[in-house]
Amino acid sequence: MTFRSSLFAPLIAAAFCAPAQAEDVLKIGASVGLSGYAASTDRGWRDGLDLAADYLNAKGGIDGHKIELVVEDNKSDPQEAVIVYRKMMASDNVQIFASGCVSAGNFAAAPFVAKAGIPMVLCSILPKGAAEQKWAFSFLPPPRYEIQTRMQYLLDHGDVRKIGILSDPTPYAMIMTKLATDVAKELGIEIVASETYKQDDADMSVQIGRINAAGAGAIIKIGIGGSTVTVAKNIQQLGLDKMLLLASLDDAAPFLQAGAVLGDRFLFVSPSVQIPDAVPAGPAHDAMETFLTLWKAKYGDRDGNAAGRAWDAMMVIDKAVTAAHSTDGAAVRDALEQVSDYQGAIARYQFSATQHVGIVQNPLMMGVVRDGQLVQVK
Amino acid sequence: MTSPDIISTKAPGLAWARILPAVLGLGVLVYAFTSNGYVVTVVGFAAIYGLLCTGLNFFMGFTGQASFGQNAFAALGSYGSAILCTDYNVEPVLALVMTMVFSGLVALVVGYPTLRLRGHYLAMATFALGLITYEISVEWTDLTQGYMGYSGIPPLSLGPFQAQTDKQQLAVILVVLALGVLAAVRLRGSRFGRACRAIAGSEAAAGALGIPVARYKLISFVIAAVYASAAGSLFAHFVGFISPEVFGTTMVVQSFTMLYLGGIGTIAGPLIGAVVVSVLPELMRGLKDYQNIGYLVLLLAILIYAPKGVVGLLDSLSGKWRR
Repeated sequence: MTFRSSLFAPLIAAAFCAPAQAEDVLKIGASVGLSGYAASTDRGWRDGLDLAADYLNAKGGIDGHKIELVVEDNKSDPQEAVIVYRKMMASDNVQIFASGCVSAGNFAAAPFVAKAGIPMVLCSILPKGAAEQKWAFSFLPPPRYEIQTRMQYLLDHGDVRKIGILSDPTPYAMIMTKLATDVAKELGIEIVASETYKQDDADMSVQIGRINAAGAGAIIKIGIGGSTVTVAKNIQQLGLDKMLLLASLDDAAPFLQAGAVLGDRFLFVSPSVQIPDAVPAGPAHDAMETFLTLWKAKYGDRDGNAAGRAWDAMMVIDKAVTAAHSTDGAAVRDALEQVSDYQGAIARYQFSATQHVGIVQNPLMMGVVRDGQLVQVK
Repeated sequence: MTSPDIISTKAPGLAWARILPAVLGLGVLVYAFTSNGYVVTVVGFAAIYGLLCTGLNFFMGFTGQASFGQNAFAALGSYGSAILCTDYNVEPVLALVMTMVFSGLVALVVGYPTLRLRGHYLAMATFALGLITYEISVEWTDLTQGYMGYSGIPPLSLGPFQAQTDKQQLAVILVVLALGVLAAVRLRGSRFGRACRAIAGSEAAAGALGIPVARYKLISFVIAAVYASAAGSLFAHFVGFISPEVFGTTMVVQSFTMLYLGGIGTIAGPLIGAVVVSVLPELMRGLKDYQNIGYLVLLLAILIYAPKGVVGLLDSLSGKWRR
């Protein structure tokens, strides 16, 4: 064997060849956007899976199977997602997927994952086709809850009844934008302007100016990431000292930065793990504390929003595999549908044959930034 | 007695430089058809990009122009096939041909004013074309479904034959690629191809020789667009789902990398480049967080030591061997 062939042979073997499947191992694959637009959320999702896998493995694994996580970076790109899904299926022999929030990547892979009979638990919304939805389970709060929580806040606090929508073009945001019209009508709120932005826009003064000119007293922003901070800064720069900004479910980092700019005029929807003090004693508090204790021990003050859902996803997989007493794809899928009442760190999950979005009760609350901390708005 | 080395037009050592890529290519195909879905997917994407780059090579390599907007025509092909097949139940092969014709017409209309520009200005104009198409695919949600993407696109089929499995789909893609390469070979050797190469050498000189420079540049642009459209259609059928991210600037960078790494202006170059750029990141996947670094370092090394691409490197090695 020449030097070159000896150099590349292990790489080729490692890249393309299927390893032997150990009987006592449960392989859980995750297609996550560790780079690209979904990186902040999906890194949290990955770390949540990792934490849960360590926790369960320390307790003997799932139904006697040691969990082996196979994590692949899809670079927040659907084409790359197809490749990594294929790799995990063919080369790693993954038995269950617990993938991140890159909706388009999960949609692109869903047909062949479903065809192979592998269950997918997802951070993202469900794929569109019925055949794919049969194998997919979502751990994302339904978009309606995010919209409802914010509009209800406006109804209950103050007299703002005219609002503007500022959204990005991601699938989740598109669904939410469409829902916003219905929810506003139900609650008697008028949407006077609807503007869009791109995730990498460095300035949104024009859109905000139009929303203000239309007479809106609040902006409901639909979309995640640093754009929230940009909007907050633009509102301040435009001198709109009455305008409220109500942000989407997101990581704590942009919340803290936007809150530092707008103070109490910046509000956001939040799950319990971001404002733990708001959760009264009981099963929900206990489930959240179990996760947060381990999370903080390993990651300190890092936000646990996406990680909490990943933790819950792994715990639901645990329940399903244990109940099925099998790692067969179809058996696990059927068992996932039977997880009809599980209290997780983020929410209570209720799956069924017709309900593959696990969160059916609104777990979100409104928060505000005070003294550099996220606190609940009473 | 005259030495054969002197009178022979084919120098010893030249053959292996031509045969080696073909043998390696054949090896990749045999490996793909005997391997799992992962390898088939990687090779399938390489073949699709190979087709796109073969077209781009016609405009950039043979005609010496610059286009940063091939992603626009790939998007047209992809969305065209997706919409025709999913919403109107058009046969995939017919949809592929229809979108190729449509893309060609769009290229004709857009290229007529655009190709009056030269050099960097032409590059910027074509780049803008790609960006505009990308924005349309994001914003015109009623037609393209925006970032929600188009799903449920059927695999390629012709009459009763439907490419159901990954390997059957790969076979169909390879057939289309082979036809595309064959057409490129024939075109390059034709009167039109020779005129394009003259334009690449010097537009002024070509014009002085009576070559209708503007018309030939436009035809070359249309040909590249038709190839890109076919590649986009194949992508849609191969994956079964498309969304705007696929046709962003990443596609432009990827196709340029493939073209220059393989060897611009050659027939084999785009194909070699497509395989190398598709396979290298997978070989580096074991490096996890350092995958991109490893891949890019290797890419840089290839470009430094083979500035004329892999084909140029093989030719120069073959020349050294000859000497």
